[in-house]
Formats: sequence, structure tokens, C-alpha cells
Amino acid sequence: MNRVQAAKSILWVVVGFAAAVGITRMIYGLGATTNLNDATPWGLWIGFDVMAGVALAAGGFVITAIVYIMKREEFRPIVKPAVLTAFLGYIAVIISLLFDLGLPWNIWHMLIFWNPHSPLFEVGWCVMLYTTVLLLEFSPVPLEASSRYAKIRTFLLRFRFPLVMLGIMLSTLHQSSLGSLFLIMPYKSYPLWYSDILPILFFISAVALGLMMITLESLVTSHLYRRQVETELLSKLARASVWVLSIYVLTKLTEIVIAGESSLIFNGSWESILFIVEITIGVLAPIVIFSIPQFRRSQKWLWAGSVMVVFGMVFNRINVGGLTMMGITGDSYFPSWMEISISAGVVSAAVLVFFFAVERFHVWETPPRHPEAEPTSRPRFDRVSQVWLGAPSVAGRTKYSLAFLFSFAVAVAIVPGNEIQSKGAVTVPTMPARGGDTLFIDGNRDLYGVAFKHEMHISQNGQKQSCVLCHHMNIPMDKQSGCYRCHKSMYQESDAFGHQWHSSPRGGNIACVQCHEDGRERTAASAKKCDNCHRDLLPDGARIKHERNIAPSYVDAMHRLCVDCHKEKALTLEGKGDLARCARCHETVPPEYMSPGAPLLGNRPYFNRVMMPGAESLLKADD
Amino acid sequence: MKAILTDVTKCIGCLECVSACKSANRLPMDIPRLWQKNDGLSAYNWTSILPKPLLPETGNGGQRFRYIRKQCRHCLEPACASACPVGALHQTTLGAVVYDSDKCLGCRYCMMACPYGIPRYDWESPVPYVRKCILCFERISEGKEPACTEVCPTKATIFGEREALIQEAHERIKSNQGKYINKVFGEHEVGGTSVLYISDIDLDFLAYKSNLGTRPLPQTTAAAMKSVPVAFVGMGAFMYGLHWIIKRRSERQENPEKPEEKV
Repeated sequence: MNRVQAAKSILWVVVGFAAAVGITRMIYGLGATTNLNDATPWGLWIGFDVMAGVALAAGGFVITAIVYIMKREEFRPIVKPAVLTAFLGYIAVIISLLFDLGLPWNIWHMLIFWNPHSPLFEVGWCVMLYTTVLLLEFSPVPLEASSRYAKIRTFLLRFRFPLVMLGIMLSTLHQSSLGSLFLIMPYKSYPLWYSDILPILFFISAVALGLMMITLESLVTSHLYRRQVETELLSKLARASVWVLSIYVLTKLTEIVIAGESSLIFNGSWESILFIVEITIGVLAPIVIFSIPQFRRSQKWLWAGSVMVVFGMVFNRINVGGLTMMGITGDSYFPSWMEISISAGVVSAAVLVFFFAVERFHVWETPPRHPEAEPTSRPRFDRVSQVWLGAPSVAGRTKYSLAFLFSFAVAVAIVPGNEIQSKGAVTVPTMPARGGDTLFIDGNRDLYGVAFKHEMHISQNGQKQSCVLCHHMNIPMDKQSGCYRCHKSMYQESDAFGHQWHSSPRGGNIACVQCHEDGRERTAASAKKCDNCHRDLLPDGARIKHERNIAPSYVDAMHRLCVDCHKEKALTLEGKGDLARCARCHETVPPEYMSPGAPLLGNRPYFNRVMMPGAESLLKADD
Repeated sequence: MKAILTDVTKCIGCLECVSACKSANRLPMDIPRLWQKNDGLSAYNWTSILPKPLLPETGNGGQRFRYIRKQCRHCLEPACASACPVGALHQTTLGAVVYDSDKCLGCRYCMMACPYGIPRYDWESPVPYVRKCILCFERISEGKEPACTEVCPTKATIFGEREALIQEAHERIKSNQGKYINKVFGEHEVGGTSVLYISDIDLDFLAYKSNLGTRPLPQTTAAAMKSVPVAFVGMGAFMYGLHWIIKRRSERQENPEKPEEKV
């Protein structure tokens, strides 16, 4: 297996994995598959795929400007691969965006619903137009394949100069407008990454990144296809990048000094560390490396320098795109493995298409030897010489298909089904209520509950006859099952029927037919009713009618039972109009729980659970 | 312009507004989710009450907590509406900032842009929409009050014309010297908001940063957006000029004896 085939196999594995995850994302939605949240609505897919992706694809407009506008003919050999990379980069951006958008099928809405005030509207339009321009710029290459398309090809080539001009103009706009996106967030952005000239900084850094991305791409493909490295050309690009990077860093630092934020760089906060890492690795070190002529001509240093710039600029986009906002929003977002695998999958797919294009079409001056041309599956037996040729190996394409399918299957297997289907709900198991004459109903024991005057309810509702009003079901052999026994989860429905409990004493799977009718599907519908065996399970006169084995959440159960009755009583009883009000049960906090030392209600997502008087002593007794 | 004025000192934290909001907007029950912020707002909860403990010496009338109602501020120049690429969020003539789910494409730029962190996303749904308070737009366009102000038992939160409410707020501050902080929250912040507060405690925690300033957020991007056509044409002209100069220079190098006029 040669280098290209090895690389392709790995990429197919990543793509297969991402395909399964991508389908999961589309079926179950963003909440179930990503770590995005209300405080961090933009994550890896925007920070890396879109923001960094567009910047990484800047090589296309930079190199066309160098060759067609500045007439530096020596760079012509790298125009086609750079334009191809840019085109694939933009396609990758759009595909990632389809995963990130909540309603991806509405992506075309920008065409008909206009809001010209929005930088995102402008970016969207420019990306759409520029992708089309790149397609037109690149399509003469595949059209070469057949003379049938010669007319279209010459037609397109005639418009090359205007297309190049349009491409540069559009790139200028959206590369900078990606920076304008963040101008509207002055209160969320960390000052080091926020400035009024953000669009200009984004444009300059995109040019630098474009130059270095062409360099890196050329180095990688030369390595994989064992081609001669175009060191002379690349060193010229490196020299140009020194200038661009210097302009970038000077502009950026000047802006920071003028804004009076220079002290933030060295104050030791984690933002300052991010900033120093970004500037040192991404800008200062490459400037030093590439200003030394020997280093520029050395392959090793070209590798090092270009990797550093690419890392630094991608890091910059991620920093601006949300990483540095976390100190202000107080959120700690880290992408889920599903987000990471989709990002990796989209990039891998783009690289695979790149390989396909350079092998089929005349992208490079000297096309590479087709790695698949050499048969990997030899015949087992040579009929002419009557010689056994050994066991056949798996052919290239079969291998890639296997790699894809294998990792697809692995991804399907490890996608956590229950976790995804629960859609981000927080599991909170419930516990019994505590107290004597007055019960403290606080299912999740977070100190916020309702003081329920048990004795008072019994005496006012007709002594012993009243039990059944609320206690609609007891667990068999139990006289007073707590609510928590069936309503097992604070906020989610839970199964009140112990399937395991019922089946194992009867012999496990062979006992299915004892409850489920034979020959029918084994569902709740085909099962015997509970009261078939358990007599007196459902007492007459209960307010709650037991219909299914699914118990509603503890909160729902309490609210339905109490509020419905309170509403009725509020209408019928004289002077009890406020019985149905929330505050009737969720009493106001008594003064002794309002001292600064007491637990803060505001720190809790569900603050309307109010601590009852005497709760503390109850809890102490409990311990 | 319609507006809501909330007097924090009058709120008793009874949550009637929260429950009225839920029933008026037909919002389903919601359960705690991993992605929620700890402020009670969610895709299904458009207003919430945040209790803030008072220092013992400032407590008056035995009340040691202040309850602050959080909801969309309905900025006069809303950042979310200016950010939305398709104009799904937009401001109505009544002042309410409302949402057109048919236009939305789910980019969540509005959530990034809001200085108060108000818009929430329907993360659990495979077909998610942005959700936030819409100032009961249907009710106020029929001339009714929003559900929350209608049910408030202490009239801590009231509805009316913005000008009148600002005047009322200043009167209350003036007639109760020392009771309130001398500031109507929302009068000038980010160009003014339609949801106003008067309070005896600082309400800066409702936004991402204290001292939001008076500059409306849409203005921050407006300058950049205005220079877009200039940048477009300018870059084109610059590139074409560069091309022309370089081309002429190379032609002259090739035919140095050629007279300049004919180039």
C-alpha cells in the first residue's frame, strides 16, 4: 500500500464514522448530539468549520491575484490546485453549515428574505457567489477531459480575468465581514479579540493564511504522491507571508495599545495565555523563521512555519468565534465527540475529493501516477505459465468501501441511544417525603419543596375515607407506598411496572406467555392487566385513574393531583379563592432562610421551589 | 411605542406572571435540560423570576429578597433583529420584537448578538426554532395588555406607552427619595429598551456586562456594512489598476523602443 492509499483508507474511515453521526444529528437534533447550549449557541462547527474553513480557503483568491493580476507567471503551476482547494473548502464550509443550522432546509432563504443590515447576510451571499465563481474558475480543468466540452471550456476561459477579479472582490468582502459578525457583541467578546477594525484584521490574516495553506497543501501532496517539492516557489510565498504577517501583527498590536488594553496581554489570565500562544506560534515565530533565507529554502522549516501559521490562524478564529467569550458568559463548552467527528468527516471528504480530482484531471503540470492503476488484485493463477501467483489482496476500492462501512457500523454501535433519546434531560431520581403531621414534599431533596399539612388534609376531607382521594395506588403488599415509589423521576416519566421483577421468578424469557398472549407481539397492549392478579390495587374513589404503567414525573404528578383539587375547591369553598394560586403552596421564603448565608434560590435552575418553614430541622433529623 | 415597567420593590415573587405567560403563549411544560442557563428562561419559559438576597440592613418591611423578573427587553434598536440574516426577528411598530419562524434558518446569530442573552433555542427538537418573549404581540395589537402585566396582583409590572411609563418611573423615584436607585433601567441602555425597571438594587446582572453604554448595538456593524460597497468597488479598482500598471510595465520591458502614447 502506498502513501496515498494509506491516507485514503484513513480518510474513508473518518468519513464513514461521520456519516453515521451526521444521520444521528439530523434525526435527533442539535441538543441530543452537540454540547451547544443557550449560553454558547455557536460552537466548533462555526468556530472551526465555517470561520477557520473560509479563512483556510483564502489561498484561492490570493494565488489568482498573484498570477492573473500581478502577472507573476512563475506561480502558474500552483494556481489550479489552489483554486481546487478553495472550491472544496467552500463546499466543506457549506456542508458543515448544513449540520450546524437548526433548519438547514431553509438555507436558501437568504436569497429571498433580505436583511442588508446583517453581516451574516452579506457573508452568506458572498460565499454563495464566490463558490459559484470558483466552480467556473476551476471547471475548465475537468472539461478538458473530453473534446465534447471544448466550446464551453473556451467560453469559460474567455471570462477568466473578470471571474478572477470578481473572486478577489467577493473574497475581500466576506473574509472581512466574518470579522464584522462579531462587532455586534462588544459585551460578550474579550477586549483583546474585539476591535472596530476586526474586519480589516480578518482580511489581512486571511491573506497570510491563504499563502501558508497553499504552502502546506503543496508540501503534503508532494509527500503523499512523492513529487518534487516546489521549494523555490514556496520560499517566495514564505517571503511574501513575512510581509503580510508583519502588517497583521503591527496593526493588531497598535490597535490594542491605542485601545489601552495592552495590560491584558500579560495579566496571567487564561485569555492572556491564549493570546500569547496565538500570536507567538501563529505570527511571531513564523515571521522569524521565514525572514531567514536558508530556512525558507529548507523543506523542514517550510513545514514547521506553515503548520504554525495555519494553527495560529485557526486558533485565532476559534478564539474570536467563542472560546474567549466563555469567561464572560460563564459557560464551559467543549465540543462533543459527535461534533468533532462531523467536523473531521467533512474535512476528510473534501480531501478525498481533492485526491480524486488530482488523479483524474490535469490539476498539476505533471499528473501523478494513478495509485489505483496498479492492480492490487492480481489473478490467483496465471493461465499461460500455469503458475500460482499467491493469495489476492483486496482491491483498492473494495478496501475503501470496507473501511467506510466498518467505521459507519462502529459509529452506529457507539452512538448512545438512551442518552440521545432523552434529549438532554437531566435525570433526577426522587426520594420519599419527610415529616410527620406536616410533610415536606421535596422529591429531589434540594431543600426546595412544599410544606404539606397532612393531618389537616385528612381532617378536612373526611378522615379515613379521604386517604383514597390521593393514594390512588399502593404497591402490592404495601399499605402506604410513597409517591416516589412509582414517580421515580423528578421531571421525566418513569415505568411503574417492574418488568424484571415480574419475569425473573417466573423463569425469565420462557415465562413471557404467562402474561403476554401467546402468538401476539409482546407489548404493553398484549399483556394482562395489573388488576388481573393484584386485587384491590386500584381503590374506588381515587382522584387519579390509573390507565398505563407509565407514571408521570414527580412534579407533574404532584401538580395534577394537588392543583386540580385545589382548583375545584377554590370555586366551591367560600373565601378560598386563592387556593389555586402557586404561592398558596409554594410559600414565600420565611425570614430565617433569607440571610446571606442561606442557599441562594437564584443559583438554581428551578427557583420556584421554595423552602418550607422548619425544613432545616427536618433535614437534621434525617441525617 | 408600548412598554412594560417593572417596579422591583413591589414584586412579591408569586410567579403569577410566569404562569400567565405560559398559558397565554400555550407553552408546554419544560424539564431541566443540560443546555439551560440557570436563569429560569428556556424555549418554553419566556419570563422568569430571579430572587436576589438583600443585605439585612437594606431589607425593608421584613422582605429580605428582591424578585427580579427576567424577560426580553424589546430594545428600541434590537441587536437580534439587526443580526438576523433573513429578518425573521423584526421590530413591530408597537415596539415588540417578534419572530417569524417561517423565515428562520436556525443560524442562532440572534442568540450571539443579544447583550442580555435572552433568545433561547429549542435544542431538543429536530426542527428547532428560536423562542423568546414577544410582548404578547397578538394581545397588544388587539388593544389588550400582555398576560404577565394583566395578572400581576401587586401591579409591580405594568404596561403602557413608553413615554408615560418613563415619566411615571421618574415620578416614583422622585416622590420616594432614597428608596430607589436614581436610574430607570432601560431608559438609555443600548439605545433604550421597551422593558423598563426601577429598583433599589443594581440590575446589571441581567446583561452580560455592567454599564452597557447608550450606543445601540446595530450601529457597531452598521459602519462596517456601509463600507461594504466601497470595499467591493475599491478592491476591484485597486486590483484592476495594479493589473494595468504591471501589464504596461512588462510590455514596455519587452518593447522598450515603443512610444508611450501607443501603449
